[in-house]
Amino acid sequence: MNRTQRAWRRAALALLACICGERGWAQLPAEPPAVEQLPSRPTPHWVWVNDTSFFAYPDGRAFLVDGDSGKMLGMLSTGFSFNGVLVPKAGGVIYSPEIYFSRGTRGTRTDVVTIYDATRLEPVGGIEIPPKRASILPMAAAQVLTDDERFLLIYNFTPAQSVTVVDTRSRKFVGEIETAGCALVYPTGPRSFFSICGDGALLVTTLTDAGTLASHVRTAAFIDVLKDPVTEKGVRWRDTWLFASFEGVLHPLRATGASVKAEPTWPLFTSQELAQHWRTGGLNHLAMHGGSGRLFAIVHQGGPETREELGEEVWVYDVASRKRAQTIAMRNKVGSIQVSQDSHPLLFACAMENNRLDIYDATSGKYLRTVEPLGQTPALLVTP
Amino acid sequence: MPDIPSSIDALVERLARNMAQRVSRRSFIGGVGALLFGTAGMPLLPVARGESTTPAGPNTATNPGDPQTCEYWRHCAIDGFLCGCCGGSGHSCPPGTEHSAVTWVGTCHNPGDGRDYIVSYNDCCGKSGCGRCLCSRHEDDKPLYVPFRSNDYNWCPGSKVGIAYHCTVARIVGVAK
Repeated sequence: MNRTQRAWRRAALALLACICGERGWAQLPAEPPAVEQLPSRPTPHWVWVNDTSFFAYPDGRAFLVDGDSGKMLGMLSTGFSFNGVLVPKAGGVIYSPEIYFSRGTRGTRTDVVTIYDATRLEPVGGIEIPPKRASILPMAAAQVLTDDERFLLIYNFTPAQSVTVVDTRSRKFVGEIETAGCALVYPTGPRSFFSICGDGALLVTTLTDAGTLASHVRTAAFIDVLKDPVTEKGVRWRDTWLFASFEGVLHPLRATGASVKAEPTWPLFTSQELAQHWRTGGLNHLAMHGGSGRLFAIVHQGGPETREELGEEVWVYDVASRKRAQTIAMRNKVGSIQVSQDSHPLLFACAMENNRLDIYDATSGKYLRTVEPLGQTPALLVTP
Repeated sequence: MPDIPSSIDALVERLARNMAQRVSRRSFIGGVGALLFGTAGMPLLPVARGESTTPAGPNTATNPGDPQTCEYWRHCAIDGFLCGCCGGSGHSCPPGTEHSAVTWVGTCHNPGDGRDYIVSYNDCCGKSGCGRCLCSRHEDDKPLYVPFRSNDYNWCPGSKVGIAYHCTVARIVGVAK
């Protein structure tokens, strides 16, 4: 090896050392332990996907998803027979009615409203309530906040029927109001709500400022329960609650405080569509976009016994004109929907029968993205 | 400690004497009659209770079909895991679970004999969900505000073991008139 060759060899070795040596690689920084924290305010396109975990009932979960990115942002562990979370507009906290047993599926039952910090998703408080919360397939009317978000109302079924009242300001259980023969809670103001009774009447309850019973008024029946009942999945637009009947008749109930009045009904389906057996269906089959006055309804074709069947389309109605304005084909069959309340709304869709969340542009109907897998049996969608 | 039998004797004697002073024989007989009629009528109420009767065997000419399938005629308004797939049968709970005391009822048509039967859908309680043979049918099923015709409730709250739902049976309780 002559001098030139040795020089080349030294240069090559130096280059190799440069490339492969410890100093040749860009070094990754050390990573201290960290826990994510959410922004102090949710965006309008966040959605809570409430999973009752029907196949593992003691292990309910609530998943928080950003509809714009499809990213899962966090999760809450929410106990037995979970229905869903409540997200107050005031922000800061999440309320979650939960059930626990001292030995998993047995032992002493404890019902509690757990209060989570909305940015850290950690429990920061709990309010013990009577162990009576209804264990049902999830629906929004099982638990609501009054319009001023002061009181949390929870439907009980033991099978005696009543409503638990919780004061969110003092974070204390206030009491229990009997609603014999009447189910669920639909708020109508800061101190009032109604329940639907087995004979098709309404029980209108008003509260005192302390959250105790002020009055009960029972209305005349607004439906024939045996002939064509409404589903419990009513949605609210301004001062009116909208309920769809099994046969596709929309029942508006104008509700202001202690007064609830049945307004004229209107059909969701033409006679031709009824002849083709179109009907609403799914577990939580209605959603309302307040700003545009558009009602979203999951529909399918089938007989009366198919009222909880999944739908392949969402029909969109302009409530003011009582006309169908749009048809949105679903990418996957769907049982529960929700729509965000901003001016560029997203339509969220899921079904207990699968574990995914589909996201659409609620204005154009364009499919945007799917988040999967997500939970086990997602059933109730809640937007902030 | 008081002598309990003596105390009960004294209590019954006092109540009987008191009643004899206040109530005429005719109204007493009428009251007893109303009680007996009411008791006899209780099984007819749509709140089915847990006592079992001799079941009809499946897969016979008069009871056609497989209780482990959702299509079985008695499952016309069931919503849950079929107990026949979970260690029980179409009418009995799996070992170690408790039959719910109250429940919802449906009316199902038996193609085997052409009759309509009242079927009690009792939940079996005390363990986590069985997870097998999930079946959801809604013939004449009603919303939650008609509780005893609604299959969207977990009916285990009426049981001693609490609300842990395991599976559901479909028991015949009578022929629908």
